[in-house]
Amino acid sequence: MNAIANLLGGFGTVLTPQNLLYAAIGVTVGTLVGMLPGIGPALTIALLLPVALELDDPTGTLIMFAGIYYGAMYGGSTTSILLNTPGESASVATSIEGYQMAKRGRARAALATAAIGSFVAAIITTVLLTFVTEPMARLAVTFRASDYFALALLSMVTVTAVVGASIVRGLMSLTFGLFLGIVGIDALTGQARFTFGVQSMLDGIDVVVVIVGLFAVGETLFIASRLRELPEKAVPLEPATGFAWLSRADWSRSWRPWLRGTALGFPFGALPSGGAELPTFLSYMYEKRRSRNREEFGRGAIEGVAGPEAANNASFSGVLVPLLTLGIPTSATAAVMLAAFSYFNLSPGPQLLQNQSTLVWALIASLFVGNVLLLALNLPLIQLWVKVLQIPRPLLYSGILVFATLGVYAVSGNIVDVLLAYGIGLVAMLMRHLDFPIAPAILGLILGPLMETQFRRALLLADGDLSIFVKRPLTLILLLLAVAALALPHLPKLFRGRRADRLTVVTGED
Amino acid sequence: MEASPLAGLAAGVVLVAAGLALFTRALLVGADRGITLGGPTSAPIVVTGLWVVVAVVYLGTRVAAWRRRVPRPAAARPTWRVPILLLGLLVAYAFVLKYTAVGYVFATVLFYVGAAALLSTRPVREVIVRDAIVGVVLSLAIYLAFTKLLGIVLPAGVLPL
Repeated sequence: MNAIANLLGGFGTVLTPQNLLYAAIGVTVGTLVGMLPGIGPALTIALLLPVALELDDPTGTLIMFAGIYYGAMYGGSTTSILLNTPGESASVATSIEGYQMAKRGRARAALATAAIGSFVAAIITTVLLTFVTEPMARLAVTFRASDYFALALLSMVTVTAVVGASIVRGLMSLTFGLFLGIVGIDALTGQARFTFGVQSMLDGIDVVVVIVGLFAVGETLFIASRLRELPEKAVPLEPATGFAWLSRADWSRSWRPWLRGTALGFPFGALPSGGAELPTFLSYMYEKRRSRNREEFGRGAIEGVAGPEAANNASFSGVLVPLLTLGIPTSATAAVMLAAFSYFNLSPGPQLLQNQSTLVWALIASLFVGNVLLLALNLPLIQLWVKVLQIPRPLLYSGILVFATLGVYAVSGNIVDVLLAYGIGLVAMLMRHLDFPIAPAILGLILGPLMETQFRRALLLADGDLSIFVKRPLTLILLLLAVAALALPHLPKLFRGRRADRLTVVTGED
Repeated sequence: MEASPLAGLAAGVVLVAAGLALFTRALLVGADRGITLGGPTSAPIVVTGLWVVVAVVYLGTRVAAWRRRVPRPAAARPTWRVPILLLGLLVAYAFVLKYTAVGYVFATVLFYVGAAALLSTRPVREVIVRDAIVGVVLSLAIYLAFTKLLGIVLPAGVLPL
């Protein structure tokens, strides 16, 4: 089949010493930063963008970024299990049972089921990605401007509705991002918008500035405001036993949750639904309901680690589907990856697979390679990784601020951008205190300008006739889905009164 | 971890005020340059308008929460002294980098030690030597890696590197 030949070609590109090195650097850096509380893959990729630009090797850079993403997920699960401090919302489900297992002297088993489950999920879903990409890209060619507008809107709305505590806060965060996206010269007419007379604002606000502000500066200031509540020491590891630290019973209890988590993660990642947050929780609830060891849940049930971790990794391959074929990011990290593409003057979308097929297939092949590397790096070297958790917090966070400043300064050399990043950091700290989710702001920043361009293009093509957005069936369906997405999260509340287990409604299982 | 009702209320007021200011500006610019559907002035009006609407709804929910007077655990109270000092230190760091001849390495060491001291819960004299050593190694490594390996220019300042 064509896809297999392409994939083999991709392996040909990846298995050169230089690209293997990029993959190895990616997964190592990713694991490291994934373990550090508060630093996720989105921030790491944003900080590495200036470095990557200097290297001037799009294929190698994107291979490295994919490695960082996967590595960060592995690293994040380690921190969740040993420290009970999930670095991002997708690791929250893992930390519930994982930390309990660690406290009961089963840390290695929890780490192993997380790592092997992630590996299984990643391999299966990358195979799926291999076969879905081309048909999806062919479908994407038929998308018109009005469809893109509707799709971007759907993506923003669903992420906002799904992530965080309340829709109002999510919408506020989204609006903030949309506003930041407007600042600068209008691409079509050259008019300045909301630049407040500042010369350097004419180019717009760089994605790196916003992400560094929201994540690095914001997170550090937030930590600084609650120094006395920092978590205690990491749980020590017990002596190694079993095959790959899992007993026969652990293996038999893990493999089904791995597969079920994978089945949940991939489609939810591919849909505009906020990446990994929803599938990890669905997986957790499902395993809890279905498990024969239900009474163990809350005290360290291995199924509760195996399922969500698999779902988490599976969703990333899913996220790549709309990102590569449509150019639509469905999570904060995907949004940063999209920015990385545009730094190299590549635009993800239907044309990417035609014009840059070597790059796309190399990227997909690198996902296989990266996951093998991660499995080989993670379990045997766990003692080494645990040392990372022992770095004193003040040293760590001061270092983050140094790198944050450096990242912005290296991108622009402009003090206005540096101060802007600090200002956005202050806003982000307040947002965290007031429970505003961060991810919608980033999606607003990235998707807002895209949406505006497509809206205006659609209007131009239709001679200013607004009915183009309801005449075309695909556009209409996408717009209706966006409306439904706003209403859907409220439905379970209607059923909640009778049963505590509200997610039964969502999964459709009984 | 719900923030205090008063903080939410204050945030709501600030958001509504900021939204109104931005919305007015967008409308004025629109009136000045003309508003056409699909023109450059319509997106700012839509976004800032949405801002005002969402902010008003948010303020409404905060007023409701405030009237219910939800009690709040005292333990979760944040302290503002450290983040404000840290922010001041950051701004000073940026200005020193840009406008003085101190140079990247010295400025970064000073900033690093200062920030670590602010973030530490232990007495400064116990940790300052360790912080300074890490700071020197880190800033030298960054400076050399960026300028020699990557070709990104950082202010050299007084160091003969």
